[in-house]
Amino acid sequence: MADIMSAANTNNRETVRLGAPWEKTGNTSWTQCPECDDWFHIGPGLLDRPEVAMHCPSCHHEFNQTDAKRLVTSG
Amino acid sequence: MSVSHQITALQYALEKAGRHPIVVVDEPLMADGTTSDIPVVTNLTASRAVVARSLGINDHQTAAPIYAQRTGTQITPETISNDTAPVQEIVIEGDDVDLTRLPALTQHVTDPGPYLTAAHATTYDPDTKTDNTAIQRCWIKSKRRMSYFPYPSSHNNRNMRKFWARGEDCPVVFWIGHHPAVLMGTQAKLNYPESHWGACGGLLGEPLRVTPSRTFGDLIMVPADAEIVIEGYVPRDVLEADGPFGEYTGYSGPQVAAPVVNVTSITMRKGALYHDYGSGLTDMLVPDNMTMEGKVYGLCKQVAPSVTNVHVPAQGRRFHGYIQVENPGPGEVRDALMAALSYRRLKMAIAVDKDIDIFDDSEMMFALATRVQWSRDSFTVDGLSGSLLDPSTPAGSKTLSKIGIDASLPLPGRPGAPPPVPPRSIVPQDAMDNAAKILSGTDMSGWPTL
Ligand SMILES: [Zn+2]
Repeated sequence: MADIMSAANTNNRETVRLGAPWEKTGNTSWTQCPECDDWFHIGPGLLDRPEVAMHCPSCHHEFNQTDAKRLVTSG
Repeated sequence: MSVSHQITALQYALEKAGRHPIVVVDEPLMADGTTSDIPVVTNLTASRAVVARSLGINDHQTAAPIYAQRTGTQITPETISNDTAPVQEIVIEGDDVDLTRLPALTQHVTDPGPYLTAAHATTYDPDTKTDNTAIQRCWIKSKRRMSYFPYPSSHNNRNMRKFWARGEDCPVVFWIGHHPAVLMGTQAKLNYPESHWGACGGLLGEPLRVTPSRTFGDLIMVPADAEIVIEGYVPRDVLEADGPFGEYTGYSGPQVAAPVVNVTSITMRKGALYHDYGSGLTDMLVPDNMTMEGKVYGLCKQVAPSVTNVHVPAQGRRFHGYIQVENPGPGEVRDALMAALSYRRLKMAIAVDKDIDIFDDSEMMFALATRVQWSRDSFTVDGLSGSLLDPSTPAGSKTLSKIGIDASLPLPGRPGAPPPVPPRSIVPQDAMDNAAKILSGTDMSGWPTL
């Protein structure tokens, strides 16, 4: 995930830092639709393919990663 | 219905059917073929809902914090005179005493005979004269003699040893049958020496009425509204075989060397009922486990304010504790798990979030299946105190190995963002409500049972 972070380097991206090995951490990345503000979760395979547009399950708006209102990645 | 196995069998059958009614046997058939005129009441506390209601709590799932609060608010007992105490309406003394006329049950195959299973033993500390009460089993051996097994770590055992060390027999009173709040108050975890009467009153919401015992006067008070009282002495340094006995673990506990009681008197109400606890059945597990929930809740809450509830499920005997947390801070879940595991009887503690129903084992399994990486989220601690009745303990061991499991979700990643886990698959509530409405109006009786 770290290489994606550095490659994208846009203002809408935030990452959740890892903690100590005994601390529980998540594995799920979330994006917020720029049209309706709803959040939905996206897998690493889609994050790895920025050329594939994301599709909001609530309002069906399609948008690129750089256009997401927020993109919170885990890892 | 016979006191030998048949009443207990009915309890097992009811439990298997998922039913937990109070069972009253009006004319129990004694082992010698005669009928007792003392009815047997059992399964009194097999239902969590019934036990909670008896404490004035509408929802049994909210009992843990309430128990913790009420037993911490003690109410001083009220002393009444012997001649107004219902439990002394009938007095049987000396050679007229006959324990074998009590409809005590022989419950399990390996039990050697009839046991008092709901006898609350009250002794006192000879140094401070402070009384102590605990439920402890007695095997009726003859008309005036029964075994008595005060667990070695119990306060009653400590009192008994003090008398014996002075070269004296230990005075003891056993009382049977009372309001479930009083029964549960005797289980409050107190200091030594500290009387249980105040905690009983706290749970009852009014002073417990007590009266001096026949044999020991005000050195041992007895609950005035109990059904039956048995008074006697534990002779110094006398030990006899006791057991095997079917235990709360669901296994038969081994035969042990136990003290005995020489009975001086039996008193009872007119029309007294004999209360029996089905040992190892929910009848006994439910009130014990609900009191444990209150104690474990109190322990956890001291170190982890995010703990909102505790469930000690009967399926886990007394070994499993489910801890619910809400928005815990860093480290708090493990703090709570450590506190729970320090409670002697708990062997496994599992922490889950608010979205998991800790009273539904399928929900607990869901959390374990989907929220735990075992090497990261579980830890074992060896050498803690525990119940040696646990059949899995190695020979000679005096302590146990315990496990804590953090089945809560990771802490939220970023402010304003969803937690870094996938959301649960749910159907909108209005659709669920509609489905429930359809089903409630559907006659399913003709459906195939496959
Ligand atoms: Zn949208």
